[in-house]
Amino acid sequence: MPLSDAELVARVLVDDDHHAFAELVRNHQSTVRGLLRQLTGSDVALADDLAQETFLRAYKNLRSFRGEARFSTWLYRIAYNCFREYARKRRELVGIDEEQLEREQDPQTVDPALRQDLMHAMSLLPIHERTAIVLCCQNGLSHEEASRVLDIPLGTVKTNVLRGREKLKRTLAAWAAA
Amino acid sequence: MTPMIDDETLDRQLRDAAPYIDDAGFTARVMSQLPARQREPRYLRAVVLLGLTILGSALAYVLSGRGRFVTEGVVELSNFPLWLLLVFVFGCGLLVGGAAVIFAIRKTPEVRDLARFRF
Repeated sequence: MPLSDAELVARVLVDDDHHAFAELVRNHQSTVRGLLRQLTGSDVALADDLAQETFLRAYKNLRSFRGEARFSTWLYRIAYNCFREYARKRRELVGIDEEQLEREQDPQTVDPALRQDLMHAMSLLPIHERTAIVLCCQNGLSHEEASRVLDIPLGTVKTNVLRGREKLKRTLAAWAAA
Repeated sequence: MTPMIDDETLDRQLRDAAPYIDDAGFTARVMSQLPARQREPRYLRAVVLLGLTILGSALAYVLSGRGRFVTEGVVELSNFPLWLLLVFVFGCGLLVGGAAVIFAIRKTPEVRDLARFRF
Protein backbone atom coordinates (compact mmCIF):
# COMPACT_ATOMS: atom_id res chain seq x y z
CA MET A 1 0.00 0.00 0.00
CA PRO A 2 1.45 3.42 -0.93
CA LEU A 3 2.33 5.67 1.98
CA SER A 4 0.42 8.90 2.55
CA ASP A 5 2.12 12.29 2.22
CA ALA A 6 2.11 12.68 6.00
CA GLU A 7 3.88 9.34 6.47
CA LEU A 8 6.47 10.18 3.82
CA VAL A 9 7.10 13.60 5.38
CA ALA A 10 7.54 11.94 8.79
CA ARG A 11 10.12 9.53 7.33
CA VAL A 12 12.09 12.40 5.82
CA LEU A 13 12.03 14.34 9.08
CA VAL A 14 12.88 11.43 11.39
CA ASP A 15 15.35 9.41 9.29
CA ASP A 16 16.33 11.95 6.60
CA ASP A 17 14.97 9.28 4.25
CA HIS A 18 15.82 10.38 0.70
CA HIS A 19 13.73 7.58 -0.82
CA ALA A 20 10.67 8.97 0.95
CA PHE A 21 11.39 12.46 -0.36
CA ALA A 22 11.87 11.09 -3.88
CA GLU A 23 8.43 9.50 -3.57
CA LEU A 24 6.96 12.88 -2.58
CA VAL A 25 8.62 14.51 -5.60
CA ARG A 26 7.33 11.79 -7.94
CA ASN A 27 3.79 12.13 -6.53
CA HIS A 28 3.61 15.90 -6.94
CA GLN A 29 5.98 16.78 -9.79
CA SER A 30 3.28 16.76 -12.46
CA THR A 31 0.90 19.20 -10.74
CA VAL A 32 3.69 21.52 -9.56
CA ARG A 33 5.32 21.62 -12.99
CA GLY A 34 1.88 22.04 -14.59
CA LEU A 35 1.10 25.03 -12.35
CA LEU A 36 4.47 26.63 -13.11
CA ARG A 37 4.06 26.04 -16.85
CA GLN A 38 0.78 27.94 -16.66
CA LEU A 39 2.41 30.74 -14.70
CA THR A 40 5.41 31.04 -17.02
CA GLY A 41 3.32 30.99 -20.20
CA SER A 42 4.36 27.45 -21.15
CA ASP A 43 8.11 28.11 -20.85
CA VAL A 44 8.91 24.47 -20.09
CA ALA A 45 12.59 24.91 -19.22
CA LEU A 46 11.95 27.85 -16.90
CA ALA A 47 8.99 26.08 -15.30
CA ASP A 48 11.15 23.00 -14.61
CA ASP A 49 13.93 25.14 -13.11
CA LEU A 50 11.40 26.79 -10.80
CA ALA A 51 9.86 23.40 -9.97
CA GLN A 52 13.30 22.08 -9.04
CA GLU A 53 13.85 25.13 -6.81
CA THR A 54 10.41 24.51 -5.29
CA PHE A 55 11.25 20.95 -4.23
CA LEU A 56 14.68 21.94 -2.91
CA ARG A 57 13.10 24.64 -0.77
CA ALA A 58 10.45 22.18 0.37
CA TYR A 59 13.18 19.77 1.50
CA LYS A 60 15.11 22.47 3.36
CA ASN A 61 12.00 23.83 5.07
CA LEU A 62 10.14 20.58 5.64
CA ARG A 63 10.19 21.11 9.41
CA SER A 64 8.00 24.18 8.95
CA PHE A 65 5.28 22.00 7.37
CA ARG A 66 2.98 21.43 10.33
CA GLY A 67 0.36 19.33 8.60
CA GLU A 68 -2.36 21.95 9.02
CA ALA A 69 -2.87 22.14 5.26
CA ARG A 70 -2.47 19.45 2.61
CA PHE A 71 1.12 18.84 1.56
CA SER A 72 0.19 19.75 -2.04
CA THR A 73 -1.22 23.12 -0.88
CA TRP A 74 2.02 23.82 0.97
CA LEU A 75 4.02 22.92 -2.16
CA TYR A 76 1.89 25.15 -4.41
CA ARG A 77 2.57 28.05 -2.06
CA ILE A 78 6.33 27.51 -2.34
CA ALA A 79 6.03 27.16 -6.13
CA TYR A 80 4.02 30.38 -6.36
CA ASN A 81 6.58 32.21 -4.21
CA CYS A 82 9.41 30.93 -6.45
CA PHE A 83 7.56 32.25 -9.48
CA ARG A 84 6.87 35.62 -7.80
CA GLU A 85 10.56 36.03 -6.93
CA TYR A 86 11.52 35.15 -10.51
CA ALA A 87 8.96 37.64 -11.91
CA ARG A 88 10.21 40.38 -9.57
CA LYS A 89 13.84 39.81 -10.64
CA ARG A 90 12.81 39.75 -14.28
CA ARG A 91 11.05 43.10 -13.91
CA GLU A 92 14.13 44.55 -12.18
CA LEU A 93 16.52 43.27 -14.84
CA VAL A 94 14.52 43.93 -18.00
CA GLY A 95 12.28 46.71 -16.77
CA ILE A 96 9.08 44.92 -17.69
CA ASP A 97 6.06 46.33 -15.89
CA GLU A 98 2.70 44.77 -15.05
CA GLU A 99 1.00 46.45 -18.01
CA GLN A 100 3.51 44.94 -20.39
CA LEU A 101 2.91 41.50 -18.86
CA GLU A 102 -0.81 42.02 -19.35
CA ARG A 103 -0.29 43.09 -22.99
CA GLU A 104 1.68 39.88 -23.56
CA GLN A 105 -1.52 38.04 -22.68
CA ASP A 106 -3.84 40.28 -24.66
CA PRO A 107 -6.18 38.05 -26.72
CA GLN A 108 -6.16 40.61 -29.54
CA THR A 109 -2.44 40.00 -30.19
CA VAL A 110 -2.72 36.21 -30.47
CA ASP A 111 -3.08 34.47 -33.82
CA PRO A 112 -6.70 33.20 -34.04
CA ALA A 113 -5.44 30.04 -35.73
CA LEU A 114 -3.82 29.00 -32.46
CA ARG A 115 -7.07 29.19 -30.53
CA GLN A 116 -7.88 25.53 -30.74
CA ASP A 117 -8.08 24.12 -27.28
CA LEU A 118 -8.89 24.90 -23.71
CA MET A 119 -5.30 25.20 -22.58
CA HIS A 120 -4.73 27.89 -25.14
CA ALA A 121 -7.85 29.69 -23.94
CA MET A 122 -6.29 29.52 -20.47
CA SER A 123 -3.15 31.20 -21.70
CA LEU A 124 -5.25 34.19 -22.73
CA LEU A 125 -6.39 34.87 -19.19
CA PRO A 126 -4.57 37.45 -17.05
CA ILE A 127 -2.09 35.72 -14.79
CA HIS A 128 -4.03 36.18 -11.53
CA GLU A 129 -7.20 34.68 -13.02
CA ARG A 130 -5.26 31.86 -14.71
CA THR A 131 -3.52 30.97 -11.45
CA ALA A 132 -6.80 30.91 -9.53
CA ILE A 133 -8.40 28.72 -12.23
CA VAL A 134 -5.44 26.28 -12.26
CA LEU A 135 -5.45 25.94 -8.47
CA CYS A 136 -9.20 25.75 -7.89
CA CYS A 137 -10.63 24.17 -11.06
CA GLN A 138 -7.75 22.00 -12.28
CA ASN A 139 -6.00 21.01 -9.06
CA GLY A 140 -9.11 20.89 -6.89
CA LEU A 141 -8.08 23.32 -4.15
CA SER A 142 -10.83 25.02 -2.19
CA HIS A 143 -11.08 28.81 -2.37
CA GLU A 144 -9.69 28.98 1.19
CA GLU A 145 -6.67 26.84 0.25
CA ALA A 146 -6.01 28.93 -2.88
CA SER A 147 -6.27 32.06 -0.76
CA ARG A 148 -3.51 30.68 1.51
CA VAL A 149 -1.35 29.65 -1.46
CA LEU A 150 -1.62 33.01 -3.21
CA ASP A 151 -1.63 35.03 0.03
CA ILE A 152 -4.60 37.11 -1.11
CA PRO A 153 -8.06 37.62 0.43
CA LEU A 154 -10.66 34.88 -0.02
CA GLY A 155 -13.01 37.29 -1.84
CA THR A 156 -10.31 38.10 -4.40
CA VAL A 157 -9.81 34.39 -5.14
CA LYS A 158 -13.55 33.92 -5.63
CA THR A 159 -13.70 36.95 -7.94
CA ASN A 160 -10.71 35.75 -9.98
CA VAL A 161 -12.18 32.25 -10.37
CA LEU A 162 -15.56 33.69 -11.34
CA ARG A 163 -14.11 36.11 -13.89
CA GLY A 164 -11.72 33.49 -15.28
CA ARG A 165 -14.53 30.99 -15.72
CA GLU A 166 -16.74 33.56 -17.45
CA LYS A 167 -13.95 34.54 -19.85
CA LEU A 168 -13.17 30.90 -20.65
CA LYS A 169 -16.84 30.17 -21.29
CA ARG A 170 -17.19 33.20 -23.55
CA THR A 171 -14.01 32.32 -25.46
CA LEU A 172 -15.02 28.70 -25.89
CA ALA A 173 -18.54 29.65 -26.94
CA ALA A 174 -17.18 32.13 -29.47
CA TRP A 175 -14.78 29.55 -30.94
CA ALA A 176 -17.53 26.93 -31.10
CA ALA A 177 -19.77 29.39 -32.93
CA ALA A 178 -17.06 30.34 -35.43
CA MET B 1 -25.90 31.75 -30.67
CA THR B 2 -23.90 28.93 -29.05
CA PRO B 3 -24.97 28.31 -25.43
CA MET B 4 -22.32 28.71 -22.75
CA ILE B 5 -21.25 25.60 -20.83
CA ASP B 6 -21.89 25.26 -17.10
CA ASP B 7 -19.23 25.48 -14.36
CA GLU B 8 -19.13 21.74 -13.70
CA THR B 9 -18.55 20.86 -17.36
CA LEU B 10 -15.91 23.56 -17.68
CA ASP B 11 -14.05 22.30 -14.58
CA ARG B 12 -14.17 18.73 -15.87
CA GLN B 13 -12.85 19.81 -19.24
CA LEU B 14 -10.09 21.81 -17.56
CA ARG B 15 -9.04 18.80 -15.47
CA ASP B 16 -9.11 16.56 -18.54
CA ALA B 17 -7.16 19.09 -20.58
CA ALA B 18 -4.34 19.29 -18.02
CA PRO B 19 -1.90 16.64 -19.20
CA TYR B 20 -0.01 14.40 -16.78
CA ILE B 21 3.61 15.52 -17.07
CA ASP B 22 5.91 12.54 -17.35
CA ASP B 23 8.71 12.55 -14.78
CA ALA B 24 11.43 12.05 -17.46
CA GLY B 25 14.32 12.28 -14.99
CA PHE B 26 12.94 15.27 -13.09
CA THR B 27 12.91 13.48 -9.72
CA ALA B 28 16.47 12.25 -10.25
CA ARG B 29 17.63 15.82 -11.00
CA VAL B 30 15.99 17.12 -7.82
CA MET B 31 17.46 14.30 -5.72
CA SER B 32 20.95 14.95 -7.08
CA GLN B 33 20.69 18.54 -5.79
CA LEU B 34 19.74 17.60 -2.23
CA PRO B 35 22.35 18.10 0.48
CA ALA B 36 24.16 14.91 1.50
CA ARG B 37 22.45 12.70 4.06
CA GLN B 38 23.43 13.08 7.68
CA ARG B 39 25.74 10.24 8.62
CA GLU B 40 24.47 10.14 12.19
CA PRO B 41 23.45 6.54 13.02
CA ARG B 42 19.70 6.01 13.26
CA TYR B 43 19.88 4.51 16.74
CA LEU B 44 21.96 7.38 18.21
CA ARG B 45 18.94 9.51 19.09
CA ALA B 46 17.22 6.55 20.75
CA VAL B 47 20.36 5.69 22.74
CA VAL B 48 20.76 9.30 23.93
CA LEU B 49 17.09 9.53 24.93
CA LEU B 50 17.17 6.20 26.74
CA GLY B 51 20.44 7.07 28.53
CA LEU B 52 19.09 10.43 29.70
CA THR B 53 15.85 8.79 30.88
CA ILE B 54 17.75 6.18 32.91
CA LEU B 55 20.07 8.83 34.36
CA GLY B 56 17.13 11.09 35.27
CA SER B 57 15.24 8.21 36.87
CA ALA B 58 18.29 7.13 38.89
CA LEU B 59 18.84 10.70 40.10
CA ALA B 60 15.17 11.08 41.05
CA TYR B 61 15.29 7.74 42.89
CA VAL B 62 18.37 8.70 44.93
CA LEU B 63 17.30 12.29 45.64
CA SER B 64 13.80 11.28 46.74
CA GLY B 65 15.01 9.03 49.54
CA ARG B 66 15.21 5.88 47.40
CA GLY B 67 11.66 6.26 46.16
CA ARG B 68 10.02 6.17 49.56
CA PHE B 69 7.26 8.49 48.34
CA VAL B 70 6.20 5.85 45.81
CA THR B 71 5.78 3.19 48.53
CA GLU B 72 3.89 5.67 50.70
CA GLY B 73 1.67 6.65 47.79
CA VAL B 74 0.79 3.03 46.99
CA VAL B 75 0.02 2.30 50.66
CA GLU B 76 -2.18 5.38 50.84
CA LEU B 77 -3.96 4.41 47.60
CA SER B 78 -4.61 0.87 48.94
CA ASN B 79 -6.47 2.40 51.90
CA PHE B 80 -8.97 4.11 49.57
CA PRO B 81 -12.46 2.54 49.35
CA LEU B 82 -12.97 0.42 46.23
CA TRP B 83 -15.61 2.72 44.67
CA LEU B 84 -13.26 5.72 45.00
CA LEU B 85 -10.45 3.78 43.32
CA LEU B 86 -12.81 2.86 40.47
CA VAL B 87 -13.87 6.51 40.05
CA PHE B 88 -10.22 7.57 40.13
CA VAL B 89 -9.20 5.03 37.47
CA PHE B 90 -12.24 5.85 35.29
CA GLY B 91 -11.51 9.59 35.59
CA CYS B 92 -7.88 9.09 34.59
CA GLY B 93 -8.94 6.99 31.60
CA LEU B 94 -11.44 9.63 30.56
CA LEU B 95 -8.84 12.41 30.79
CA VAL B 96 -6.21 10.51 28.81
CA GLY B 97 -8.78 9.38 26.19
CA GLY B 98 -10.14 12.93 25.81
CA ALA B 99 -6.64 14.37 25.40
CA ALA B 100 -5.82 11.69 22.79
CA VAL B 101 -8.97 12.50 20.78
CA ILE B 102 -8.28 16.26 20.86
CA PHE B 103 -4.65 15.69 19.82
CA ALA B 104 -5.73 13.35 16.98
CA ILE B 105 -8.26 15.90 15.68
CA ARG B 106 -5.70 18.72 15.78
CA LYS B 107 -3.16 16.64 13.88
CA THR B 108 -5.55 15.38 11.17
CA PRO B 109 -6.64 18.15 8.78
CA GLU B 110 -9.48 16.09 7.24
CA VAL B 111 -11.06 15.34 10.62
CA ARG B 112 -10.46 18.91 11.82
CA ASP B 113 -12.23 20.29 8.75
CA LEU B 114 -15.14 17.90 9.28
CA ALA B 115 -15.40 18.95 12.90
CA ARG B 116 -15.35 22.62 11.87
CA PHE B 117 -17.80 22.57 8.98
CA ARG B 118 -20.14 19.64 9.34
CA PHE B 119 -20.98 19.50 13.05
